[in-house]
Amino acid sequence: MNRFMSPNQTPCRNSRREFLWETGAGFTGLAMLDLLSRDGFFDKLRAEDKEGLSGLLAPKKPHFEAKASRCVFFFMNGGPSQIDTFDPKPVLDKHHGEEYKGELEVGSNGRAIGYLMKSPFKFQKHGESGLEISDLYPHLSTHADDLCLFRSCYTDTAAHASGCIQMNTGKVGIGSPSIGSWVNYGLGTISQDLPGYVVMTDPRGGPIGSASNWSSGYIPAAYQGTMFRSSGTPLLNMENPKGVTDRGQRKSLDLLGALNQQHRRTRKFESELEARIESYELAYRMQVAAKDVVDLSQESAKTHERYGLNDKITADFGRKCLITKRLLESGVRFIQLYSGGGHIEDTWDGHTDCITNHKLHAGETDKPMAALMQDMKDIGLWDETLFVWGGEFGRTPTSEGIGKPGRDHNWHAFTMWLAGGGVKGGQAIGASDDLGFGIADRPVHVSDFHATILHLMGLDHNLLSFYYQGLDQRLTGPDEAHIVEEALA
Amino acid sequence: MKRSLSITLCLLISFPLLAEEPGKMPEVSIDLKASDAKITQDDRDHWAFKKVERPDVPQVKNDRWVRNPIDAFILQKLERKGWKPAPAAVPGTLGRRLYLGLTGLPPTLKQQAAIDANSDPEQFDHLVKKLLASEAYGERWARHWLDIVRYAETNGYERDGMKPNVWRYRDYIIRALNDDVPFNQFILEQLAGDELETADSRTVIATGYYRLGPFDDEPADFAEDRFDQLDDMLNTTSQVFLGITLACARCHDHKFEALTQHDYYKMIAIFNPLTRPQSGRSDLDLPAGSVEQLANEQKRNGEIAKHNSNIDSINLAVALKRIQDGTSKLDEAIQKALKTPAGDRDSDAVKLIASKRNEIAADADSGLNDEQRDQLSQAKQAIKALREETPDLPRGYFFTESLENVPETNLLVRGKASSPGPVVQPGVPTVLTSVQPDFDNPTNHTTGRRLALANWIASESNPLTARVLVNRVWQHHFGVGIVRTPNDFGVMGAAPTHEALLDWLADWFVNEGEWSLKKLHALILSSNAYRMSSEWNESYAAEDPENNLLWRRPYRRLEVEAIRDSILAVSGQINRKMYGPSMYPYVPSDALDNHADKQKIWPAFNEEEANRRTIYSYVKRSLIVPFLEVLDLCDTTKSTPQRIVTSVAPQALTLFNGKFVNRQAEYFAKRLETEAGDGSAAQITLAFKLALCREPTATELQVMTDFLATETKKFREEDADGKLATSPEYRALVQICRVIFNLNEFAYPD
Repeated sequence: MNRFMSPNQTPCRNSRREFLWETGAGFTGLAMLDLLSRDGFFDKLRAEDKEGLSGLLAPKKPHFEAKASRCVFFFMNGGPSQIDTFDPKPVLDKHHGEEYKGELEVGSNGRAIGYLMKSPFKFQKHGESGLEISDLYPHLSTHADDLCLFRSCYTDTAAHASGCIQMNTGKVGIGSPSIGSWVNYGLGTISQDLPGYVVMTDPRGGPIGSASNWSSGYIPAAYQGTMFRSSGTPLLNMENPKGVTDRGQRKSLDLLGALNQQHRRTRKFESELEARIESYELAYRMQVAAKDVVDLSQESAKTHERYGLNDKITADFGRKCLITKRLLESGVRFIQLYSGGGHIEDTWDGHTDCITNHKLHAGETDKPMAALMQDMKDIGLWDETLFVWGGEFGRTPTSEGIGKPGRDHNWHAFTMWLAGGGVKGGQAIGASDDLGFGIADRPVHVSDFHATILHLMGLDHNLLSFYYQGLDQRLTGPDEAHIVEEALA
Repeated sequence: MKRSLSITLCLLISFPLLAEEPGKMPEVSIDLKASDAKITQDDRDHWAFKKVERPDVPQVKNDRWVRNPIDAFILQKLERKGWKPAPAAVPGTLGRRLYLGLTGLPPTLKQQAAIDANSDPEQFDHLVKKLLASEAYGERWARHWLDIVRYAETNGYERDGMKPNVWRYRDYIIRALNDDVPFNQFILEQLAGDELETADSRTVIATGYYRLGPFDDEPADFAEDRFDQLDDMLNTTSQVFLGITLACARCHDHKFEALTQHDYYKMIAIFNPLTRPQSGRSDLDLPAGSVEQLANEQKRNGEIAKHNSNIDSINLAVALKRIQDGTSKLDEAIQKALKTPAGDRDSDAVKLIASKRNEIAADADSGLNDEQRDQLSQAKQAIKALREETPDLPRGYFFTESLENVPETNLLVRGKASSPGPVVQPGVPTVLTSVQPDFDNPTNHTTGRRLALANWIASESNPLTARVLVNRVWQHHFGVGIVRTPNDFGVMGAAPTHEALLDWLADWFVNEGEWSLKKLHALILSSNAYRMSSEWNESYAAEDPENNLLWRRPYRRLEVEAIRDSILAVSGQINRKMYGPSMYPYVPSDALDNHADKQKIWPAFNEEEANRRTIYSYVKRSLIVPFLEVLDLCDTTKSTPQRIVTSVAPQALTLFNGKFVNRQAEYFAKRLETEAGDGSAAQITLAFKLALCREPTATELQVMTDFLATETKKFREEDADGKLATSPEYRALVQICRVIFNLNEFAYPD
């Protein structure tokens, strides 16, 4: 161990770079990125480079042993109401129809403020743990003993764009890497035939802020989320060009390979040239693998039924969940599925009628999510997979306008949940206040939630950093964040 | 400042404070003078903060290799090791390197022929001058500048609104580079173009620099957001012009650099008077000009309004008369509005009359008497003359500043807008100067603070400005800078590989070079150091794998703009229209699916426009053109001093399967058929010349001729009934062209 190996504990601490420059190595280009990409493990011998893989994407050892090696993030775009889903509020029922007299700020952007409104949905205890979940989730409830609810989450913004971006990148401003990028940067990819970070958006449109939500920000573009469509051609430019058969495609690739190898003969020392040659073969394999993943005809009729593919309501999210199962089996590291997208009414943003809105969106996602979770248990990938559920914020216990069924944004307190590898299920951590508006116990900031996700995947949020603009940037920095220890099994 | 101490302080400060509840900040007393006193002589002695002194040009053994002092500095370090620089690149290679490096476009056949004939070094000096004089030079190098100033045409976030007319800033940069505006003047124009005595539309548009950053038009906290915007200006300015990471000192003194929190807020105070022209959430553009020009335009508009009012009163009177006569052809509604006496008209009627001004005039026309006709004609003439005398000012996108309501700037405790500390006066970082510039020197319409900053940055005695700039220019010619961290010249930045060379260049640039970028280019490009080949040397590589001593030409992939522009040039489709509003490159409809408003997000494809050079493509922060994004376009939210180079599968999918390249391959094949005729060998040879600026080797020619023959045959079999409109020969040739665009050699010039 040399003295530079000490972990960089403080936000601005810079030991790895000191190492780079003080040793006079003056690394540049890929060489430097490669080292940066192994942040925290710059002892080259520890990196498990597979032969021929570019260093950026090669699998890397986590900071410490962890169960989960992959992650599925169900992003409920628009802000689901905690009061109507996972956070029962009997006291709110009693005050239904009364004016809210608390101190918290009500209403985003000068929207109308109504009276307190109880949830029309019934909460019941489920499983051995007796976790209370609303009847919006009859299927998911069967996994109650696996869910770890965080009922006291809070965020720094009441706006969708900055809220989504904070939930994905840890910062309210655009331009930072998303959590899926960080995870791939820290762990590399498992599957070399598929992208390590897949995003599937809602057919009605993407989230506000679009690609900023799965951007790799200032770390290499190799780590950014790849849009994956759930039918037809899943990846951009995946099809052969018009008029080119599979045979012709192979022939042209062979010609390209032959000429590039010829060119390389006198430039053997240029590793970038080799990496680029390799990328064309990877692309070719990806064409085959991606098409295969979305070919759901390989799945049984029973499976189609379980995921809700035969029902118009659940068909789209069901397809995405079934594809997710296949992506997880293929070793894709991080998958994010969006429920809701496009215009307000098509997201969870129930300003005008939260009740009808949530029936629809919960109805679309409940059965498929439950089926995916069940399958992961059945095929033995449960422990290796971390499930994340939630949106950019929650919703108010007050209605939006008097006597109207809408709810406004609530960034003071809302619910997220985790399940799967390394998570202690069947519990609710923290509590919102009696009305479900503010936090009564154990505040969990978005960055604390992120720190916990990274920890469950074997990454130390204080170590996982990238030097940029004079700072070792982190998902959870520069302020201090804390792992929610109670969530760990 | 003792760095180790500040780390400890940070630990002590940040942990207990974070446990506190928001809004319950402890009282923190901050002594600004004590803060400045933390800076020691040691801090000031950091190599990059010391005044540039011109070093002597070293004596070397092999002085025949020295074409100019650059070579002496490079050779000195090589000779100390007993090494030799790589041999000179062959003329064809050097020619391609120069064309791509200076213009971002490959040489045409004619230009290649000129190079082959003139292989001596002086001829290349002439070529450099010629290329620097071409307009393509500004288009190529402006993009390097746009990278570091976080240029984009929208603000990001939810609505990702347009920045109206911001492209005029991009055009300003291209023109300034082509006109070789001296770099010190270039600084003044962007930082204080509105405060200069010589201010005009051009220099005011240049200050759009400050307003290029992203901002949230629906912030959670307005005060915090205001400081985020100021932080964006400070962060960009301190990195772009000074190469320091001052933004790290927003919440506390910089942990590693001799930059204090006080330094940070002194700089914030310089930008704080700037205000954002806005109407609700809409960002506004404004007419760009000096105070005098704006006043003239306003005066002209007043006079035009008077004439228009005269015209209107005549027309309205005649139109009313025609209504009373029953000869009016106007709509009932207009007639009704006109019949109401002017004072009694409701707002709808007033609006209607204003909006139907032309119709009313047309109706009145047939009722005019000679005198009225004369009056109208005179008024119109007068308006025309006024417009000719004082033409419309161009509209631009920039902040404004006035002397009214100049805000005080407080140091913010822990960087939070909710915790204002002591009031801070404008200033520059203490470590960089012993004498602060005079910031109390207002112009007749602004505080003059930015002008004071700009003059300080652009002065000969500023230790950083010239060093940072020559390093950037060096970086774009050699792939990496002499300082490998071009935005960070602080103690945490990389040490220069050739410190004496950097200082010599910085001094030369300011004195002999008179801040001329073109002179600096010409100097660097005339060196033998630039003209080396990339020949490998096993034993040098073992000792210096990163080529720090520059023993050979480093390899670097072309940026996506140069790749795309080269493809268009080679296919013959490039549209060399310069300047003006941006074009929209092709975006596959699939790529729009992820957007909240996929219908409106991207205009319909217009191929001719889209074939313009890539610098003219619209930069939308929430939808970066996939072709550009996947090929490592810079981050558009912050200053990017150097593009990242990755080689990943989605790039291969884009370049091999994507519509853009395949369409250009078709044009390229047609071009080859037209210009080379039917013979395979002639077509392939021409293709190599156009795309790679060389003839194919015998092996390459053989491999490709064989491919054409077998693929033509296959294509014929696959389309046995001849249903396809194109010939099998052509289709095989398209494949050849597609392959050529994807060759490593195409993207990695030697």
